[in-house]
Amino acid sequence: MTLAPDTDAQRGDAGRPVTPGSWLGWVSTTDHKRIGLLTIGTSLVLLLVDGVFALLMRAQLAQPEETFLAAHLYNQLFTMHGSGMIYTVMTPFAIGLGVYLVPLQIGAPGIALPRLTLLGYWLYVLGALTMLAGFATPTGAHADGWFSYPPMADSVHSPGTGPDLWIVGVSLAVTGSILMGWAVLWTVLRRRTRGMTMLRLPVFCWSMIATCLMVIGSFPALLAAMVLLGVGRADPDVFASNVWNIGYQHIFWFYGHPVVYVMFFPYLAAVAEVLAVFSGRRFFGYRGTALSLLVFAALSMSVWGHHMFATGQAANDYYSLTSIALLVPAGVEYFGMLGTILGGRLRLRVPMLFALAFVPQFLIGGLTGIMVGTPVIDYHVTDSYFVVAHLHYVLFAGSAFGLFAAVHYWFPKVTGTLLDERMGRLHFWLLVVGTNLTFLPMFALGYLGMPRRVVTYATFDGFGLLNLLASIGAAFLAAGMTVFVVNVLWTLRRRHLGRAEPAGDDPWEGHTLEWATTSPPPRLNFPADRPLPPVTSFAPLLDRRTGGGTA
Amino acid sequence: MRRHLPAVLVAGWGVLNGLLLVVLAIYRENTMTYWLWGGVVLVLQLFALAVLVSSRARPDQHVRYRVPDRGAGGVLPGAVGLLLVGLCLVYGRWLLVVAVPLLMLSVALVVRGTTAREK
Repeated sequence: MTLAPDTDAQRGDAGRPVTPGSWLGWVSTTDHKRIGLLTIGTSLVLLLVDGVFALLMRAQLAQPEETFLAAHLYNQLFTMHGSGMIYTVMTPFAIGLGVYLVPLQIGAPGIALPRLTLLGYWLYVLGALTMLAGFATPTGAHADGWFSYPPMADSVHSPGTGPDLWIVGVSLAVTGSILMGWAVLWTVLRRRTRGMTMLRLPVFCWSMIATCLMVIGSFPALLAAMVLLGVGRADPDVFASNVWNIGYQHIFWFYGHPVVYVMFFPYLAAVAEVLAVFSGRRFFGYRGTALSLLVFAALSMSVWGHHMFATGQAANDYYSLTSIALLVPAGVEYFGMLGTILGGRLRLRVPMLFALAFVPQFLIGGLTGIMVGTPVIDYHVTDSYFVVAHLHYVLFAGSAFGLFAAVHYWFPKVTGTLLDERMGRLHFWLLVVGTNLTFLPMFALGYLGMPRRVVTYATFDGFGLLNLLASIGAAFLAAGMTVFVVNVLWTLRRRHLGRAEPAGDDPWEGHTLEWATTSPPPRLNFPADRPLPPVTSFAPLLDRRTGGGTA
Repeated sequence: MRRHLPAVLVAGWGVLNGLLLVVLAIYRENTMTYWLWGGVVLVLQLFALAVLVSSRARPDQHVRYRVPDRGAGGVLPGAVGLLLVGLCLVYGRWLLVVAVPLLMLSVALVVRGTTAREK
């Protein structure tokens, strides 16, 4: 047990010392920054793996009647791509960002429940590996899509151990996310430093509160769905009754919709922080945005049935009403972001480029979400490529751009070194072109009737040109991601060799407390020679520079 | 009130969920959904209660922190043990032969408090 920051007294029986950076130090660390980095690093590696799956799928779909991939392998790839991206990439990255940043932003030396957080990380890693291990089984990996509806996913229609490994892996990974979510929420509610009242929390911390409330509220439902699926695979008679088939859908989507918001609130808040810092002004509409995040999160718990419109087994009027009501808090958040940019002195550095691109691209994802939240439109486009385009505009054109804004923005805090600006810009433009070239044609494909998850299509379907454009776009995305990987590895290598120029503690003139400490921050975050500045508002460092505070 | 704002926030968010659930009941939905969502509202209220108890016992904002860092060496064996318990459902109960000792080792390491500490 360590007391901080007043004393560094440590118990004598606390164990043998290890050198910093040793593998033992990393695997058993209780430093929230290390656990956060492990989580973020693991999810970035898995992003590349799942991205390769997507490239293989786009190669298969580039031409009509293509035979590059066998049907069963294609099914495995889209299942592992979708479930991997959701359960093991975007969700853990979002929560891992909270694990790293929240204690720093609230002026705490550590996270609450660090051992539980570490357990969460390891369960997540082992869960991800277990899911992927399905590829090594004789029948291959799971192949029924990320929501794996019964009876198709039962042991009669999907035999083999791949689906069983997937169930175990998903259960472990989501348990890990739940544990990390609990720790982050408790930290932000109960570990704030002096002066850091709730209404002085940075926007990112508010997003983590909303995110973790959804994690606590909705993620256990996925565990229940996995138990039901596992029981049904042991005894397929369970799914002979439609009660449990539809029941599974209710339980699954009770998790499956809020998780979409878990996968974008932290990125939206990262974008909000970047927009404020690179506009040189305080975030506009702070209180409205904090409130809208909470309302947005509560509403998100009520819209799950819009994924079931076409079943005829859900209260469509209610789910349509609540889905459309999401426009109100979303509008408040957009108002805040636009109000921050307008009149600001914009600095178009790489984090800002990603943040600016997030705004219109995510809008397309959000507005098409309202379209599919309307039953009359959903009946026409359900299970088509329109839905694929919508969710990728939300999760890639939106959240992933927020993710890269966050990586470029906080990289100098984490490493003490800036990523290369030229490679960053190349990465950005390749992603902008690739994203829109890949996913925009999918709206048209879906509207014209191309179903999702088909391994191929006939020439006379007329889907060839649009699919070819989407596949060319995917090649741009692959090039962009390659540039990103090279940029990160090259920068870290230069840092290791001592050739990288130090970024300084606050290279962007940040607003929040993490920029008040050294880069990278020490074990207990705020060393004795760098006392915390007084917390006068949600932007204390801006207050210190300008000599004012508002809250 | 201000001191208990975190607890009020969690409880209020739970109440908002409860209100949305009541509206859903007007539209009549599968009974299972009432149990599911109602259970979540209950969990949220219990969590709010835990936050309230904590905020009554300790200050809302801190200058001294306890940073627990002992026993973390037991976490990885514990996680592997839990994985093996999960894999028992796929490959059979014989995996418990490995899982149970690992979990016991994990508990022992956590209780004994031995862990690597950075210099």
